[in-house]
Amino acid sequence: MLYSILQQAPAETTRYMIAGYTVIFTIMLLYVLSLIVRRRNLERDLETLKEMEPKEE
Amino acid sequence: MESKPRLLVILDIVTVLLFISAVSMVFLYAPLEAVMGQVQRVFYFHVANAWVGMLGFLVAAVSGVAYLRKGDRKWDIVGLAAIEISFVFFFTAIISGSIWARGSWGTWWTWDPRLTTAAICELVYAAYFMLRQGIEDPDRRARFGAVYAILSFISVPLTFISIRIFRTIHPVIIGSGAAGAEGSFDMTAKMLQTFMFSLLTFSFIFADLLWHRIRLGHLADKTENLKLKVLQ
Repeated sequence: MLYSILQQAPAETTRYMIAGYTVIFTIMLLYVLSLIVRRRNLERDLETLKEMEPKEE
Repeated sequence: MESKPRLLVILDIVTVLLFISAVSMVFLYAPLEAVMGQVQRVFYFHVANAWVGMLGFLVAAVSGVAYLRKGDRKWDIVGLAAIEISFVFFFTAIISGSIWARGSWGTWWTWDPRLTTAAICELVYAAYFMLRQGIEDPDRRARFGAVYAILSFISVPLTFISIRIFRTIHPVIIGSGAAGAEGSFDMTAKMLQTFMFSLLTFSFIFADLLWHRIRLGHLADKTENLKLKVLQ
């Protein structure tokens, strides 16, 4: 009876599901953050360069 | 500072809402798979990540053709943006697939045709960034990048069809797979709906990220040009 119930139950794989989604969400978040940081740095560089740009007479 | 286009703001909002809905469907709507258990839920975003990977590599190949025909710098920016996004998502697909494999096959990795071709595909696109890094002249870099994006796209259909033409243990969810496939399952209506919704959501994520990354590329170009002007 117990053997039959155990045979029918799905495998206990919750930790792999958690690991899988942790990886997926973390990589996506890091990529979005990298886009934000790179944009902010470029905007800062652009502002600095505009200040350094020789003024046309 | 350049303001964000209204359409992009709308796309951001729609994408976030779709993403929240997709996550809810994966965890609350899709039923528990009878044999593999909870790890089967990785399948929805694992395939969606691979889909974004392949879609972006296709966009990059098309952009490569457009660049070679017209010589317009904007196509180089699109190609680079698409490959960068796809490289990240395809990497995620490989890692999440490895975790799924551990749960259902009992191993993190095996040199199965699908896993091997996917790893080769990712490495081929990793070399794209190295190629670009090694070329100083922007026009030459764009030209070489375009040719490389077109040629490297060969690895994408090869990865896609590998499980359909070779003997493999990787499951084929859509269409008929090899007899030796492990981890296959019949999708119920709710599973299929969740799967299709995840693909739709990740298509929106790709479009949204691509737009942001193209804007970043234009900004980088502008900064580079101004830098050269100041240094002269």
